[in-house]
Amino acid sequence: MSEAVLERPPDSQDPIAQVAPEELDLLTPKQLAWRRFKRHRLALVSGGVLIFMYFVAGFAEFFAPYATTYRNVTAINAPPMDVRFFEHDGTFHFRPFVYGYDLHINEETWAREYSENPEKLYPLRFFARGDPYELWNLFDGNLHLFIAEDETGAGYIHFLGTDQLGRDVLSRVIYGGRISLSIGMLGIGLTLILGVFFGGFAGYLGGWVDRIVQRMIEVLQSLPTLPLWMALTAALPAHWSSLRIYFGVTIILSLFGWTALARQVRGRFLALRNEDFVIAARLIGSGQNRIIFKHMMPSFMSHTITTATLAVPGVILGETALSFLGIGIRPPIVSWGVLMEQAQNYQVISMTPWILYPGLFVVIAVMAFNVLGDGLRDAADPYNTGGL
Amino acid sequence: MRGHKRYPHSLLNAVLLATLLVHNISAEEQEWPEEWYAPFRTASEIGLTTFSDSPRLYVGDIDHPNFQNLPPLEERLPKDPIVVYPLRETGHHGGIARLTQHDLWQFFQWEAAFTISADMRTFFPNLAEWFELSEDGLTLTIKLRDGIKWSDGVPLTSHDFAFTFNDLWNNDEYSPETYRIVEGSKVVVVDDLLFRYEFPTPRPLFINFVAQYGDFMIDAKHFMKDFHPYYTDKDELDQRIKDYEALNWTQLVNDIRREGSDDSVEVPTLRAFKLVERSSMKRKYLRNPYYPKVDPEGRQLPYIDQINMETVENAEIMAAMASTAQVDFAAFALRTQDIPLLKLGERNGAIKVHIWQRLHSSDVAIQPNYNYEDERYRELYWDIRFRAALSHAINRDELNEIIYFGRGFPRQVTVHPSSSFFKEEWEKRYLEYKPEYSKELLDEIGAVDLDGDGYREFPDGSRLTITLEFYDFETPKGITMELVQEYWRQIGIDLRLKLVDGNLQRERAVAGEMQMTLWHADRVTDILFPLFPDWWVARSISWDRGMWNDWSRWYMKEGEAGVEPPPVMRDLQQSVDNMWVAMDEAERHRIGQKMLAIGSENLWVIGTVGLAPHPVVVSSRLKGVPEKGIWGWDNRWTLANHPATWYIDEGAR
Repeated sequence: MSEAVLERPPDSQDPIAQVAPEELDLLTPKQLAWRRFKRHRLALVSGGVLIFMYFVAGFAEFFAPYATTYRNVTAINAPPMDVRFFEHDGTFHFRPFVYGYDLHINEETWAREYSENPEKLYPLRFFARGDPYELWNLFDGNLHLFIAEDETGAGYIHFLGTDQLGRDVLSRVIYGGRISLSIGMLGIGLTLILGVFFGGFAGYLGGWVDRIVQRMIEVLQSLPTLPLWMALTAALPAHWSSLRIYFGVTIILSLFGWTALARQVRGRFLALRNEDFVIAARLIGSGQNRIIFKHMMPSFMSHTITTATLAVPGVILGETALSFLGIGIRPPIVSWGVLMEQAQNYQVISMTPWILYPGLFVVIAVMAFNVLGDGLRDAADPYNTGGL
Repeated sequence: MRGHKRYPHSLLNAVLLATLLVHNISAEEQEWPEEWYAPFRTASEIGLTTFSDSPRLYVGDIDHPNFQNLPPLEERLPKDPIVVYPLRETGHHGGIARLTQHDLWQFFQWEAAFTISADMRTFFPNLAEWFELSEDGLTLTIKLRDGIKWSDGVPLTSHDFAFTFNDLWNNDEYSPETYRIVEGSKVVVVDDLLFRYEFPTPRPLFINFVAQYGDFMIDAKHFMKDFHPYYTDKDELDQRIKDYEALNWTQLVNDIRREGSDDSVEVPTLRAFKLVERSSMKRKYLRNPYYPKVDPEGRQLPYIDQINMETVENAEIMAAMASTAQVDFAAFALRTQDIPLLKLGERNGAIKVHIWQRLHSSDVAIQPNYNYEDERYRELYWDIRFRAALSHAINRDELNEIIYFGRGFPRQVTVHPSSSFFKEEWEKRYLEYKPEYSKELLDEIGAVDLDGDGYREFPDGSRLTITLEFYDFETPKGITMELVQEYWRQIGIDLRLKLVDGNLQRERAVAGEMQMTLWHADRVTDILFPLFPDWWVARSISWDRGMWNDWSRWYMKEGEAGVEPPPVMRDLQQSVDNMWVAMDEAERHRIGQKMLAIGSENLWVIGTVGLAPHPVVVSSRLKGVPEKGIWGWDNRWTLANHPATWYIDEGAR
């Protein structure tokens, strides 16, 4: 982005550019970074999108109108429903509503044909009581953001349609997001720990430790990741529960992701080891831990976090790929990859394209992480003032 | 209308139609020619004297030896050719059919000594002119039709039958384990056209076996003997084995017989088409110039000149190819859930999707392993209340709606409605959806949820999870099990599903290592049920079953291996023995029905939905394929529909 900064006309809205140089000296690095980050509008939006996605996924039970196992047998492979304010005859409703479906199996084509039935008018109810659930397996609840129900309690809404078993695609996308997004975070957390640990030791201690770690990284980096992931996930025992498989897959994905980070951390350590402030700290008798954690780490943590952010999409895509191939997350736990595995047939593309929606969410999440990482990278080095 | 007299419907035929009516196939739709329900007539019987064959044979572009210097047609046909009636009108010679490897078996059927009637109950002579089972059941005498020839022009004789049966099937090296119905028997040749199977015990059901499986009972001895140690001296044979890069003669013979080797193009055949070119992805077949059957107007069958076969492994690609008319006939690898997609292809007129009915008693037959190594599972599975609980927890009407468009039939595993053994009560037992009752049954057993995780534990308190391994092929097994998993979860049973491929399924099933497995329930008609009542009795070990290998082994080895089964199973094994030797048909019926009744009561395997719709995709240029049919292994899919009478009408598009 620094090139872009150079090309910026003098009258730009750049918040940093508008600050007088002497004021710039008064700001803390954090404030500077935030100013810098704010300038990257797209990154800001992406950050918002991601926070929203994680929030929704975190409270999936509340946001999803139905549970993942819910099946609407009257709506198998039903297309997405339109949310309306006007009835077919033009009557306006303040409360949005959907029309229920009438199913007709075409004698000729055997296709399930759904038509909207004006008799079945299901108003949307917000913050309504619906299917019971256990939030995070801790709290009982039945409050949903929205459900569709008429006075008699009948009704359903499938905003993104249903799959071949009549399950609500939107609900499953939301629950799937919980797995796919959290695997990204958990995986990257592990990556971060491994990367900083190995990179830090290699960089700080140097010598034979460094050499061993370096060779280890080279070996790991030279292995093609997908076949390796496949082999390892395929080796997870069949009798494991879906939850254990989930953690197993997370660990496998992060086992090979830490190498780039470790390299970077090592490089930083090597560079910082002989910086004045480190030498000063050492001379006044600070302990090794204090030097590492109090002095060295903060000075490159921002970079590390940026690298980690940029690595999240890799983990999400890794999970998606494995589950898509049927060897990652296993049902009944749903992830976006599991949902997309269902969609990998010709029939879906030509007859029920709404089953492909989970793919859209993968794209959004991955894009958002990439843009966010880009913004963070710029912000991570607030003193690199480029054209100022 | 054809000028020949019509046979009246047999009584059995009427019964079949009645049962089909019950099962939603109307008599109008079941418009198969009456000739398919009666023994073949011959040219002399209908006064046919002149014959014609395809010009394709004389183009001269075929460099396969079987097609060089052909004698005139009259010398290639048998003395009195077999007349086969097509579905409606007679066709004409010509055309190339495009197929994939899945549908070869359906497109040109084998030729055995006998064949199966369209009623799926009676057997007619095919290569044989007549056959006779002696009253004591110890010999089956077969007279061959005079003048039938292999595709290389060498006459078919009794020695060909004797070779396969005596030198391959009863050869310890080639067949270390053979069918129980074959054990101890042999072929005795009387003359070139007359021979008999001789059995140590009465074997009335051997007729069913020949009719359904008999194509594996004949090999061209004049060709195969060069690969057999009885007929070839050791050095020569060793050299041949080396040339073919085989391990031993048994592998060599096996490869050649099953078109598994490049040299299979040399093997003479009796079938309608002869393999002439072979590579790993493609095969080419040409019409067999010596095929012994003709149409009622004297045209030598098959009508179609050539088949180009391509290997397609992926089921999705298969469905896509079928729906876009890239193949002329596709059915085997298509699934019920593909029907709407295939029907889309119907719109532009390039294909026709016929909906046949699978004969499978149940598309999914869930099999608990009563001999599983872990005693806790063995005890639990053996408790009929547990099996009943599992069965009552399955919402079959919903399965039928979701997977089968409401056009299948919720059923337990019992015989097909066309079977003379059939009783309706058996398909209904333990069938209703009663999850509350299931829970009561499980509580009664003592399998209750102790730790509050929503899943039940074993009566002794240890964790109860069932791992069901299965091979998702042919019928909609995967989607069914996904739903069953959910149904069982609702009664607190933790079912884990694991997909395996065909090889792993074989390995694990034969070793009896799976807690549960499944396959579809065929072998349920009068053709195969009496012969192989495997869903009801522990009597053999195979890749599609995993219920009771130890008990089967005990039966097969007569108590020297395996585990002695409980009395009820001992009884059933005894019943099979009795049924196999019973010469009186009524007696066989009594025993068979007793086995089915006990099976129904004990629910050995759990059924879901059966008699389900099966898509048969036919390109619009292929004619003669029935709109309605019965699809399955028992009746060899299309055997009674005479695929040799299917023809290509290029102008039809």
